[in-house]
Amino acid sequence: MNLKADLLVIGGGMAGLVAGTVASESGLTTLLLRKGQSATANSSGAIDVIGYVPDVLEPFSSPEEGLLAIVALYPLHPYAIVGYGDDVTSEETSAAIIGRVREAIMWLKEHLGGTIASVTGEFDTNMHLITIIGTTKPTCLAQMTMCPGDLEDREDSVLLFAGITGCSEFNPSAAAKTYIEDRMALDGPPHKVGHCMFQVTPFGKSFNISSIEIARHLDREGSIEALAEQLKVQVKRIGATHVALPPVLGIRNAIANKSKLEKLIGATVFELLGFPPSVPGLRLQQALEGVFIKAGGKMLVGHEAISHVRTKQRVAAVIARGPLREIRVDAKAIILATGKYIGGGIAGDEKGLRETVFDIMTVTDDYHSSRDIVPSRSTNRLSINPTGQPIQACGVGIDSQFRPVREDGLEWAENLFAAGAVLAGYNYSVEKSGLGVALTSGYSAAKNAIDFLREVKQVE
Amino acid sequence: MTDTQFDVVVIGGGSTGTAVARDCAMRGLRTLLLERDDIASATVGTCAGMISSGLKYSDEPDIMAMCSKEVVHFSHIARHIISKNPIIAPLLDLSDAASDSSYVDSYSAHAEERAVPSMLFLTPEASREIEPMLHPDVIASVYYEEFFIDPFRLCMLQALDAIKHGAKIRTYCEVIDFAINHNKELEGVVFYNRVSGCTEKVRTKFVINATGPWAHKVASAAGEKLDIRLNKGAHVILDRRVVNVGVTVKAIDGRWVYLFPHENTTLLGTTALDTWEDPDSLVASFDEIEYLLQSIETVLPSIREARIIRTMEGVRPLVPEWKKPEGMVTRGYQVIDHGANDGTKGLISFTGGKLVMCRHMAETVTDIVCKKLGKTATCTTHERPLPGNEVDIDIVGLSREYGIALHALERMRARRGADMMKVLELTREHPEWKTTVCTCEPVIEAEVRYTIREEYPQTLNDLRRRLRLGTGPCQGTSCTYKAAAILCEELNLGGDDFLVDILDFRAERWKGIRQSLRGEQLAQDELTQGMYACVGNLDQSDVDYDVKPWEEGC
Amino acid sequence: MNEDEAYEYVKNTLRKEKITPFRPDEIEIVKSVSSCINCGLCTNHCPVVAAVGVDRFSGPRSIAVELSRSPPEYWSAADKVYLCTECGTCREVCPKNVDIPEIVNMIRARIFEHRPDLVPKAFMSVREIIAEHSLAFEPWANREEKEESRDMRLEHLGLPHVPDRTEENADVLFFPGCQAEERAQEVREAAKVILDFFDVDFTLLNEFSCCSLPSHLMGDEVTARALAEKLKQKIKRLGVKKVVTTCAGCTSNLANLAERDGWGIPVYHMLEFLAEEIGYKAISRALRKARTFEAVHVSVHDPCHLIRYTSRQIMDYASEILAVIPGVKVTTSEAHDSCCGGGGMVSYHSDDVANAVVQENLIALAATGAERLVTPCPLCTAQLENSLFKNGSPIEVEDLTVFIARRLPKE
Repeated sequence: MNLKADLLVIGGGMAGLVAGTVASESGLTTLLLRKGQSATANSSGAIDVIGYVPDVLEPFSSPEEGLLAIVALYPLHPYAIVGYGDDVTSEETSAAIIGRVREAIMWLKEHLGGTIASVTGEFDTNMHLITIIGTTKPTCLAQMTMCPGDLEDREDSVLLFAGITGCSEFNPSAAAKTYIEDRMALDGPPHKVGHCMFQVTPFGKSFNISSIEIARHLDREGSIEALAEQLKVQVKRIGATHVALPPVLGIRNAIANKSKLEKLIGATVFELLGFPPSVPGLRLQQALEGVFIKAGGKMLVGHEAISHVRTKQRVAAVIARGPLREIRVDAKAIILATGKYIGGGIAGDEKGLRETVFDIMTVTDDYHSSRDIVPSRSTNRLSINPTGQPIQACGVGIDSQFRPVREDGLEWAENLFAAGAVLAGYNYSVEKSGLGVALTSGYSAAKNAIDFLREVKQVE
Repeated sequence: MTDTQFDVVVIGGGSTGTAVARDCAMRGLRTLLLERDDIASATVGTCAGMISSGLKYSDEPDIMAMCSKEVVHFSHIARHIISKNPIIAPLLDLSDAASDSSYVDSYSAHAEERAVPSMLFLTPEASREIEPMLHPDVIASVYYEEFFIDPFRLCMLQALDAIKHGAKIRTYCEVIDFAINHNKELEGVVFYNRVSGCTEKVRTKFVINATGPWAHKVASAAGEKLDIRLNKGAHVILDRRVVNVGVTVKAIDGRWVYLFPHENTTLLGTTALDTWEDPDSLVASFDEIEYLLQSIETVLPSIREARIIRTMEGVRPLVPEWKKPEGMVTRGYQVIDHGANDGTKGLISFTGGKLVMCRHMAETVTDIVCKKLGKTATCTTHERPLPGNEVDIDIVGLSREYGIALHALERMRARRGADMMKVLELTREHPEWKTTVCTCEPVIEAEVRYTIREEYPQTLNDLRRRLRLGTGPCQGTSCTYKAAAILCEELNLGGDDFLVDILDFRAERWKGIRQSLRGEQLAQDELTQGMYACVGNLDQSDVDYDVKPWEEGC
Repeated sequence: MNEDEAYEYVKNTLRKEKITPFRPDEIEIVKSVSSCINCGLCTNHCPVVAAVGVDRFSGPRSIAVELSRSPPEYWSAADKVYLCTECGTCREVCPKNVDIPEIVNMIRARIFEHRPDLVPKAFMSVREIIAEHSLAFEPWANREEKEESRDMRLEHLGLPHVPDRTEENADVLFFPGCQAEERAQEVREAAKVILDFFDVDFTLLNEFSCCSLPSHLMGDEVTARALAEKLKQKIKRLGVKKVVTTCAGCTSNLANLAERDGWGIPVYHMLEFLAEEIGYKAISRALRKARTFEAVHVSVHDPCHLIRYTSRQIMDYASEILAVIPGVKVTTSEAHDSCCGGGGMVSYHSDDVANAVVQENLIALAATGAERLVTPCPLCTAQLENSLFKNGSPIEVEDLTVFIARRLPKE
């Protein structure tokens, strides 16, 4: 059955869900189409705003510091676009950007409060979280279960990396070695680190255990107590003040589990940042969906936008395909939040890159057309390096309203906006900015769409 | 090092070098093999693994006869690492068939001894039943059968067999000099141990130079000039089997190219371009990839819809025949006894040769060395089976007994035959080692640890050769950090080494992925970057990373 | 050898190598699976992994990236591939919509052909029934007894009996599915009541035969394709404009066959037909005319073959329809779209797995406080009813088609 909405959001990751929620809360009927989960669900569950600029090895101590650098170096970065609104003078650009990002972060914190992905952290500083391979990375907001507390502030802190037998996703001895070598080089606490293994056997076997099984298991009555029995011994053995666990503390009850565990073993407990598909990523995805639904939004899962109907200036409708059915969605405004290669918003073969729903022109990070680029030529010979892979910064170019643009620089359609990884001009893996850009651009695109629809209504 | 005197030192751990080490050791010679990197890390590691009947060498009937015999030998001594390769050559034009009809007869001449049919003709309907993706205009096809051997396992098993018979195999040892007396006789070999950083010396009167594309460099270090013709070839590797049988077709320049389903991938190859570049820095080029795709596209029009996971580039050490295209150069091999030509006595080099004849090459050279040493032992390498060949394995029974998935056991059997029992034994004491480390193959932790303990890998890339770790569609995205942690634990390495191991393996995989990056590999790379850079923050790591030869000149 | 002998030789070699050439419609599935980037999201959401753990069922990720890569090795997937309920949750959460359920069927088909000794024995008895009767359930031996059972159900449920009819060139072919035809006859009867009430020009099949999904799930492709061909001929002969069915599995399977084999007509589930062709207004009007039932508190279960094989919208239709039925209170279960464990023919050979999968549904259902569970699929109904009973739950299960039919006014 065909559908109608004020706003159609295409894509159900951070960008799409935030945009949809903002729109729905402002009173617009909002429909969100999602064909599959993607980068957000795969994320570590921490919200990065900005950690680095390419080729500079020092992390920013705060999002504000990073945003100022971004504006100066990358005027076409999605964060910078926020500063180019009609009502912003050039002197006010930086302030506008910082203001908007701060606003979005506060919004997210507030909306995630009370959910299973409740976050902590402040816009004013980046925190340094430890990953499951023992490295650290800067991020702005972390889920409540991820905070190491005063680990790196106390001279007497002792950190225990605790892994689970049979769960290959985390090797505590490798992480411990990596982490302590790093801390020694920086000459900061903790000065003592240990590692141990403990057993969680959701199905009675001590091998081939996945993180998701452990998390589900720890949601059940009595499982944290059983865990605490084992950890207590290890904590005592090395005099640990802090315990780092892989991100498996639970799905529904992770925050409560953390508190309970801390009380039982007498040490601070926190989850490390994990690789895909991490449980905190799943929590974040579920929480965001819940927020959207609570705001009155409607989600149609399993549907892919495949074509559209347009008038001269606007997109009138989008055709969406479900597994065996096709429907038409008529909408007054559309937000494209389809992601990059993982999400499928951008695809490419050896002849070039294309945007997959509307065939909007794709561009490189310096806004040259990438319609005909050979992907392998837009790569760096070094796989993992501080400049990143240029191909990962391709996407659609946008105007100051977050509308995708055509070759001539004008908006592709009056009522089409874009947000998230489908945008060009930034490399989230190097910058550590993925969810931050998704959040800010989704938030901004929604605000612009709301304004647009208000103007349209006034005219009518 | 206590043993410093050897009857023979073999330089080069490829198919030829390991075969020589095996034959020498089996005949009782005190043998040392020195390999600059890892077993099978060069030319043999970049080939398709086909042990050809000699089909392409129709104008060298003796070589064809030898190749056919060698296939028969392999099927006896290495039946557990051999698989059949049924092939069709679809014809769009009868002239395709007519021009090379001599090959039908020469192939069929030795078909019976290999238990394959002589070449058969199939109707277009039958051809399309067997392979529905074929171009609708195919008018007929020719069917024949070849065999594959796993090149890594072949080299590993030849090396293991050599060790079993008393040989010493030293990897990461680069030969830098020779000790030669004033009578121009070899007295010893000097090499640099890349793991310990020390230089070592051994004494020997005989050195077999089986270094493939570096043969002339090694000979030069012994004061000898060796002529060689280096020719590079590319392969494109597609995820999983996308065709039912092998498909061969003529390329734009008349060469035959092939698309072969092989274990759990599909191989598309190969090209032939003369090269003077450093073999370590070579990667597949856009043109080579296009050449291969365009050729196969003529008979499989939808081939570009298949997922390319990566490419590989290798260098053939051809016999130095000039003024001929690569396809016309002899497929036979040359043994150069430098001493017999007034050069360094005791140094024997190879040029030319193909995978299928490595045992034959080893026999020839071992005969020479034995004769010079006055040893009478005869060659038995064609009779005695390679390790792991001994018994039939009941996978279903083992699955029940050990509680390990059928497919994991089947793949383990394909990799190491009867030796898999030793891996399974480890799980009795360590049931947690039944955990899967590489999801694509799969490879369980017990096999990773066993391999590290018994097969002397130093890096994840060495593990990849032995276990196929990281060779699936994700190219190690999921397993790199898991395997690195195990390697560091087993070899007692530090935290920085752990990170460097990860970066090194990502670099090695990227070498092949980058060149053919397109389609779903873009999404795969976004995920890899997301994991190792965005979450792992390895791009900002300050560990000591050595820039690789192919990464230079960014 | 001449060309025919050559072909036989080649086929024989391929058989020895355990290679069954991909059929043209299978190549699309192979390509879909090639898109997997090994992110593992699927395994995080798989209900079987949740129920029994990744060691017992290695999960959709392993099927995509490991077990399906080399056809000669498909036989060694036999300890995993039959545990998939084919709910499609993996495909729905996958960034690339990798078609795991269909690759599972392809693997099962090759095991069936090359290693029948590894096929679950329980499948073989079903296969025999299908071979003899073209039905997935043993039919009633005696027509009178079948009608007696039918009449008992009609009386118990307060449904009138609308006689069967077969006529050519009707608008709609009503296809009840094997379960409703031979076991849960009330579903077939209820559908006829609805179609008759709204004056739909419908027909039944003269001789009912299976939609072929069970054969497809078993890997018995030869039988599946024969049944599909049989159905196509029957439908062409009848000359209908569309097919309506009350079974979720039949909906998605027949829709796929219609496309693959060129039937040229669409296939709908009864809910779609009601929402799109009859319309909520007409339904609402009709239901308000009926005498009001006593209030009932229900919860809804979404069949996988509707939401994930056809369209999520179909269960939106269910909600809309329930909303216009007087006296009905609906509480959504947290596990409303979680697989009931009845799919993939898992319960035929590994009932413990199917039972473990459904536990989540039972727990969430209990939390709703509902007294009855409604669902538009006879197979889900059977699975949930059995499971609730085994767990000592008082919650009843009712097919949604029956639920609606009972509330239409009696003329």
